[in-house]
Amino acid sequence: MNPKRIIIDTDPGVDDAFAFLLALASPEVQLEALTTTQGNVSLEKATRNALSVLELARANHIPVAAGSVVPLVQPLYTSADVHGASGIGNSNLPEPTTKPLGVHAVDYLIERVLAEPGELSIFPIGPLTNIAMAIRKEPKFAKAVKELVIMGGAINENGNVTPLAEFNIFVDPHAAHIVFHAGIPITLIPLDATHKCLLKPEHVDRLMKIDSPISRFIQEAVEVYFKFSYERGFTGCALHDPLTLATVIAPGLLTLKEYYVDVDHSPGVAMGKTFADIFNVTKKPANMKVAMEVRGDDFIELFVQRMETLARRITG
Amino acid sequence: MPKRILLDTDPGIDDSLAILLALASPELSLEGISVVHGNCSLEQATINGLSVLELAHAEHIPLAVGCELPLVQPSLLAPETHGNTGLGYANLPEPRIKPVSQHGSDFLIEKILSSPGEMTLVAVGPLTNVALAIRKEPRIVGALNELVIMGGAIRHEGNTTPLAEFNTFVDPHAAHIVYHAGIPTTLVPLDVSYQCVLLASDVERLLKIESPIPQFIKAATDFYMEYHDSYQGIKGCVINDPLALALTFAPELCEYQSLPVDVDISGGVSTGKTFADFYNYEKKPANMKVALGVRPRDFIELFLKRMEKLSLTAFKLS
Repeated sequence: MNPKRIIIDTDPGVDDAFAFLLALASPEVQLEALTTTQGNVSLEKATRNALSVLELARANHIPVAAGSVVPLVQPLYTSADVHGASGIGNSNLPEPTTKPLGVHAVDYLIERVLAEPGELSIFPIGPLTNIAMAIRKEPKFAKAVKELVIMGGAINENGNVTPLAEFNIFVDPHAAHIVFHAGIPITLIPLDATHKCLLKPEHVDRLMKIDSPISRFIQEAVEVYFKFSYERGFTGCALHDPLTLATVIAPGLLTLKEYYVDVDHSPGVAMGKTFADIFNVTKKPANMKVAMEVRGDDFIELFVQRMETLARRITG
Repeated sequence: MPKRILLDTDPGIDDSLAILLALASPELSLEGISVVHGNCSLEQATINGLSVLELAHAEHIPLAVGCELPLVQPSLLAPETHGNTGLGYANLPEPRIKPVSQHGSDFLIEKILSSPGEMTLVAVGPLTNVALAIRKEPRIVGALNELVIMGGAIRHEGNTTPLAEFNTFVDPHAAHIVYHAGIPTTLVPLDVSYQCVLLASDVERLLKIESPIPQFIKAATDFYMEYHDSYQGIKGCVINDPLALALTFAPELCEYQSLPVDVDISGGVSTGKTFADFYNYEKKPANMKVALGVRPRDFIELFLKRMEKLSLTAFKLS
């Protein structure tokens, strides 16, 4: 089978960076580009981090296009507490030697998707601002994109930024509303699943047995993330963004349910809450598949194995 | 030096009159039009914009096609106000000219950035194109000379809901983005535009000149006047968009107050309501100048004189 051709739309971000590494380490996917957005960090840092991580993984031939600077309607909201000031924990990657493309991420996404209708899958793992703008700017975009695999939302799980809301959706709930209702085939990977995929210190120790810049990067990147996660009562840090790739490399680990899903963008206490009409009380047709459960330990084992392979490939 | 303007519009009857007024005004250089959904569908608005340019022998003016839908809200068009074609009973021939290939918001970005500090943008439809342009290229905020918006109803009843004016109601999220972007802005709300009533007798005066322009105005406004009569009890029709356009070269027609202005995007009964904090309860700085007083007959007279002049020119050419 040909590898699945994907573009990751991202705000790196510790777990975003791990998602790129997992994509690069997985023969089942072909990572064709990264598009960046504000989110975990500012757009400027997100773009720099994307370029630096690609360079670390010797994949700087992969193009990066920079996108949205602020959410559509809401003010900018980043998360240095989770991801560290640079966005990838305490890692200290050198300035990238490559530059982003001269084209805006929204136009890049439109151009790539319309050039090959039905071919490209987009994995948005940050706020959905770029995707929403592409949908509104080019009405043909929604029909031409093969699918979206979105990391976002907390259906029956606690929010991670308000009691109800998950970060990516909370940051730009209006963009999420646009994307959820655009008619694109969507798989949603919410906190309900990702909170079961915890990377623990023993996994990092295992990786550190391989002398590689990849292992060292992962160790430095997770320090702040571990601290934040322990404070919230987790026994490790959740690999939210990498789990989107399980839909390709290990779909059997996920339990997907088809639901009508919407997001509250009214400015009350539930702003940014993603909810599923599980009993179908609204009688609306399902608009996405939602990963409600996952065999989390199996996914983490797969992630660590893939990182070991990548680390062995990239030494020195 | 004429003032360089860009017009973002959803033509629309009064939009078309604004295009004609821009073309008839030597104080202005109309450098381009971007079209947006609103009074009618994007496709129809594009046809109308091109047809009106042809009617006025202004085929050289570039027109770019923008957004088909509001950002977040579902589409809302206004066939009861502007007719099924968007131009009332007017029946202009299919345009021969074509829009430029650039998207409306990219067209605005390029035009604004290529002459920093020069361009005045007059936005007389829902603000979707303008909001998308701001989010895609934040530098346009500092590069625009001025933004004049026809929209909102401050201390005036709405024309779409009891509280909300059409352009702002159709895409309140876009309005929210634009109002808070930091662009020097003048708002022309219903408070002033609803005082500017074009009367049947005004149109009769224009018809004394034999030209396709008065005939177009007659056919378009006949429908518009029927709407105003049956829905609002107004004899004549209010020409909102030409007023906003006129303020770019005749600001003395209105009186203004600098105010903090916002729009409700909550999804409640006041969604799309534009409001001003007159007593500054929220201690926020003013973000725009709002036209709150107008000399309506002076404006209507100016409009009629310009249409007469344009009609004579068009008549000579055709």
